[in-house]
Amino acid sequence: MPLQDKLDKHKKDFEAKAPKEALAVMHRATKDLVESGIMARTIKVGDRAPDFVLKNTGNQDVSLVEFTGRGPVILSFYRGRW
Amino acid sequence: MELDALNENVDAISTLGARLVLVSPNTIAHNQTVAEQKKLACELFSDPGNTVAARYGLKYTMAADLKALYQQFGVDLEDYNGDASWTLPLPARMIIDTDGIVRYAAINADYTVRPDPAETIAALKTII
Repeated sequence: MPLQDKLDKHKKDFEAKAPKEALAVMHRATKDLVESGIMARTIKVGDRAPDFVLKNTGNQDVSLVEFTGRGPVILSFYRGRW
Repeated sequence: MELDALNENVDAISTLGARLVLVSPNTIAHNQTVAEQKKLACELFSDPGNTVAARYGLKYTMAADLKALYQQFGVDLEDYNGDASWTLPLPARMIIDTDGIVRYAAINADYTVRPDPAETIAALKTII
């Protein structure tokens, strides 16, 4: 099943049992974020990716350039859970 | 769900000579749990306070009523993320080439919308 279909199903199942007031808050928060203009300020194709040093699950510092020095990198930021 | 979908494609990504790198605001301890549970075959980094996400233009602060709702649902973001900022990154997937340039970026302010890994791999094939 394509990823978006799984996400849509999860969302549908959640929304079927969530309180209406809660859904209203969640939907408005997403709408406000979309309308905040944040998308105009994100990194874009053609930009230089800011290098960083972060800790991996082994508690080791690793930099982005250590990876890009060896090949292309698929970099994914995610929020936890979803 | 997105992590599972990406993790299933680690071999396909490696075969193309690329690496998958994940970044979350969660603490190292929480990332370790996720990595074990999901048997992640890629690096998972901890970005405390979404500092790096901010440099990519992805960081935002959750609205007060949404924060209250999460607390009501028992989602303790302060514990997950190890800080009280209630900030999150927009979900973002990009391809960065060997010169450090972004060649593909799939970012959506609606966190329930994510690109399929197949789309990202197709983009990767046009870059290598």
